[in-house]
Amino acid sequence: MNNSTQPNNFISDEKKLRQKRRERADSRFHWYGLTALGLALAFLVFFFVDIIGQAVPAFYQTEVKVNIHYVEAAKTNYNKAVDHKLRRVVSRAWLRTLPVYLKRHPELIGNNIKQWVPADSRVDQYIKQHNGHGLKSKYQRIVDAMAEEGRIRQVFNIRFFTSGDSKLPENAGIFSAAVGSIFTLLITMLIAVPIGVMTAIYLEEFSEDNHFTRIIEVNINNLAAIPSILYGLLGLAIFINFAGVPRSSALAGGLTLALMTLPIIIIATRAALQSVPSSIREAAFGLGASRWQTTWHHVLPLAMPGILTGSIIGLAQAMGETAPLLIVGMVAYVPDAPDNILEAATVLPAQIYTWAGESLRAYEERTAAAILVLLTVLLSLNGLAVYLRKHFERRW
Amino acid sequence: MKKQYAILMAATFLGLAFIGQAEARDQIRIVGSSTVYPFSSYTAETLGSTTKFKTPVVESTGSGGGMKLFCAGNGMNTPDITNASRRMKSTEYKKCQENGVKDITEIVVGYDGIAIAQSKTTAAINLTRKELLLAVAAKVPSKDESVLVNNPYYYWNEINARLPHRKIAIYGPPTSSGTRDAFEDMILKHNTKHWKVYNDAGFKHFHAIRQDGVYIPSGENDNLIVRKLTKDTAALGIFGYSYLAENTDKISAATIEGVAPAPETVQDGSYKLSRSLYFYIKQSHIKKVPGILEYANLFMNERMIGDEGECADIGLIPLPKEMRDHYRSHLKSLVRIKLEDFAKK
Amino acid sequence: MAFWMGRGKALSFETDDVRLHSRPGFYGLYAVSWIALPALAVSLLFSIAHIFNLFTVPAPMLLATTLGLGSAGLWFALSHINANFRARQAVEKVMRGLLFTAAAISILTTIGIVLSVVFESVRFFKVIPIWDFITGTQWQPDTAFLIGAGRTNESVAPPLFGSLPIFAGTFMITLIAMLVAVPIGLFAAIYMSEYASHNARGHLKPMLEILAGIPTVVYGFFAAITISPLIVNIAHTFGLEADYTNALAPGLIMGIMIIPFISSLSDDVIRAVPQSLRDGSLALGTTKAETIRHIVLPAALPGIVSACLLAISRAIGETMIVVMAAGLRPNLTANPLEGMTTVTVKIVEALTGDQEFDSAFTLSAFALGLVLLIATLILNIISIMVVRKFRQQYE
Repeated sequence: MNNSTQPNNFISDEKKLRQKRRERADSRFHWYGLTALGLALAFLVFFFVDIIGQAVPAFYQTEVKVNIHYVEAAKTNYNKAVDHKLRRVVSRAWLRTLPVYLKRHPELIGNNIKQWVPADSRVDQYIKQHNGHGLKSKYQRIVDAMAEEGRIRQVFNIRFFTSGDSKLPENAGIFSAAVGSIFTLLITMLIAVPIGVMTAIYLEEFSEDNHFTRIIEVNINNLAAIPSILYGLLGLAIFINFAGVPRSSALAGGLTLALMTLPIIIIATRAALQSVPSSIREAAFGLGASRWQTTWHHVLPLAMPGILTGSIIGLAQAMGETAPLLIVGMVAYVPDAPDNILEAATVLPAQIYTWAGESLRAYEERTAAAILVLLTVLLSLNGLAVYLRKHFERRW
Repeated sequence: MKKQYAILMAATFLGLAFIGQAEARDQIRIVGSSTVYPFSSYTAETLGSTTKFKTPVVESTGSGGGMKLFCAGNGMNTPDITNASRRMKSTEYKKCQENGVKDITEIVVGYDGIAIAQSKTTAAINLTRKELLLAVAAKVPSKDESVLVNNPYYYWNEINARLPHRKIAIYGPPTSSGTRDAFEDMILKHNTKHWKVYNDAGFKHFHAIRQDGVYIPSGENDNLIVRKLTKDTAALGIFGYSYLAENTDKISAATIEGVAPAPETVQDGSYKLSRSLYFYIKQSHIKKVPGILEYANLFMNERMIGDEGECADIGLIPLPKEMRDHYRSHLKSLVRIKLEDFAKK
Repeated sequence: MAFWMGRGKALSFETDDVRLHSRPGFYGLYAVSWIALPALAVSLLFSIAHIFNLFTVPAPMLLATTLGLGSAGLWFALSHINANFRARQAVEKVMRGLLFTAAAISILTTIGIVLSVVFESVRFFKVIPIWDFITGTQWQPDTAFLIGAGRTNESVAPPLFGSLPIFAGTFMITLIAMLVAVPIGLFAAIYMSEYASHNARGHLKPMLEILAGIPTVVYGFFAAITISPLIVNIAHTFGLEADYTNALAPGLIMGIMIIPFISSLSDDVIRAVPQSLRDGSLALGTTKAETIRHIVLPAALPGIVSACLLAISRAIGETMIVVMAAGLRPNLTANPLEGMTTVTVKIVEALTGDQEFDSAFTLSAFALGLVLLIATLILNIISIMVVRKFRQQYE
């Protein structure tokens, strides 16, 4: 390459030109690579900035200070508790809890209390100056006046984390979806990880290389490539229609996702087992250990970090999956967190999908906020996997 | 680990075996139309937050999907209530009967108006149903009404000189949508039923919508249509009245035969593009699942579907007072629908 | 518990001159397998019977039977245990069987998927001739419900299930995705494997893989809310008309999603190319770029091709992005700014729509699913074959 430093017959203008062209091409190629990487990473940055930017307002909720009339009539008609003109300013989700509250605290009746209460989502959006807030001009004037009197404030939106889905955006949260996600993921984990690891052990350590084994191998690769939505069709046909698992339940979703995750875990586990050098197995056999003892006591512990990493990545993928759940009925309106795996549940990605289709503007920021929560969880899982891989990686 | 695993497997299989036997359920399951879904889930939420009952689970499966699940049988795995943006069909009723779902109560909760809307910045437009037909049908009569030809119209003034020279572009619901069904019924089938040139060509209920890009199916997400309309100012959009009410700052409705969509015009029948919204109760579940009647009563309460009700707030067009009372009494006595009812329609 | 009982009994035999045949733990495991397997078998049997509606056993009885069998098994196992009993071999056999069962589940899954799609597809093709389905250019299922209702004689336009426009949409969006993903993914892989330091690569690769870890529903939201309007605006400034459901936005985003599939796999195969090839080439005086282009890439090509094939199968099966951002109109066009629809969108639409469930329209979802299944399987098998060939070259 640096033969140009040595004077010889090849030094000619033509050669220099050619050399230069080649070197330019060389550095261009280098730059292509950098650009490609840069583009991908730039997208990543753009994406996160955009999502975070959209999500941040969702963590604040507007509150208004209004007169609440604790009157007898409010027990049956909660609209009576506020002035007529403020009925659309105060959150209805809060108002409708009044009758129950009043029945529990009868001593409040007859009082007139000035207090901070959550505002309607349209007011909230108007205060946040979002396009499409949907607040009628009549109420805009009222809200403007209240703002001037200092009767409007923004507080941390704790409800977003403590309540379930709601048709009133100011009351909508991700709690029930998060619980549903945990249930579903637990089932996926309990089914997919053991079966996946066992399959991989069988294929790597126990099976002879016969026709059947080869069919299983090809088949597992195929399964990994099958579109997730087809797993939904499978789940619908087998678990719901055939086995009678309740539609929309965490069990139905978890089982479906388990089948989907299985090939990922099997492939990762096989790779981990393969990376354990055969000298270890031979040494164990040499000491009279059986196949099972060798695998259980020597190979598996060494392959554990790889298996863990693969399982975590597989589960993270299952956690973000929506398409098959659409088919097994988990994209539904489920405001209460499920108590057990047979109850109707929804999951975070499904909640995101539902909110993305809602008409009120306030759902848009909540969608972004739910995305942010989901991404945080998934990225921590992936980060954990990367950490495990790095920390326990052993070179033989 | 192996031991725990074996126990776990046993537990799983035991669990599977028990599932079918878990016949008790304390949470109402509702499925059905995406049009009724907002009102149904709103009511469900109110029931959950103001009473001791659990919040019912509402799944938007579409009217057809809802009927299929609803009619599958009486087991606790089947839904208790299905919403529909059209009436149950006699075939669906028969299927219900076959599967042992004998006693069904039909309730109408209100109307859904279909609005033809455009960007607020665009000059107002008045259309007739016939003009709409000529704009969207795949085949239209030739000028002399002798034969059917492929739809040649690309500008409104080609259909009627009275109309502006404006490109025809209509964003509307896709094939699977109930709103599309209703639109086809009211615009296409209604007009072509007695139109000689269609009948001569062998069509009694012609309802194929053109596919050359003038009619743009746009998904169930009506919100996106609204957004598109604000950008594409020449276009019209077809969607549920609730979205019009929600977005009056951005879009305005075209008048149909001189009438603008509004609760009053839908109720008195002068606005022609509207349909009834239904829900169906499986009577055999009323005793088994707590809260079904409470849910239905709450839904039918003035507070929800009355003129000033909360559902009206989110876009439901209320029934006239006497109709509301009529269906309330239906609910009270749990009137069963019979096969003869379908003939009357 | 059974484990300790078995182990304890075995240990009780061990004295100074009697050695157990196997390690004590094996006796424990032996007992466990005798308690668990019968119980498992019974509950499995009953649940199958229940599913097929043959008979249903009341829960307490089921529990009693299971427990009874379990303890019978335990008693049997314990009575078997003595010093000469070859527990290791017995346990080994059981374990092998268990592992084999687990491996068989993957086969069952495949069979399940194929069956669940094929059955309904057959019903669909009874109504709609398969040839019309594959070659038809018009997708107008409006009147399909009449077939379901047995009212075909009514004179209406027959429903048309020509899936060509749907395949075209899938193809277009996949093509756009690949146009984004292949150059970026490949060059990123080249950079990471050939130029970047080991340390940098260790950071870059996981960062790129984040792209594959983002849920597709999130990409869908992003494509629909941010990218689509952006494209419409940009197209507008160039005087072009773009639909909000244009094929470009989901295509671009899908392309970004599959970058890591290509970059990570290609990175691996490029690094697998023996260093001696590079050294030989560089020694002849080629530049680094020339070495990569003429030596390394051709050597890694089969692996790269198979990575691309996998990426394609990922792209055509992707659902949420297109459901949220692509159109619903079957459209046979070459203009990516127009709305197009894909196979997966139609599957979701058909299964969640307002149509009657037994109509050909709903069944079409399964027929489309079948096409999707076959397409991905073919792609995958080709890619496996390519990889096999590649292995033969360098081992």
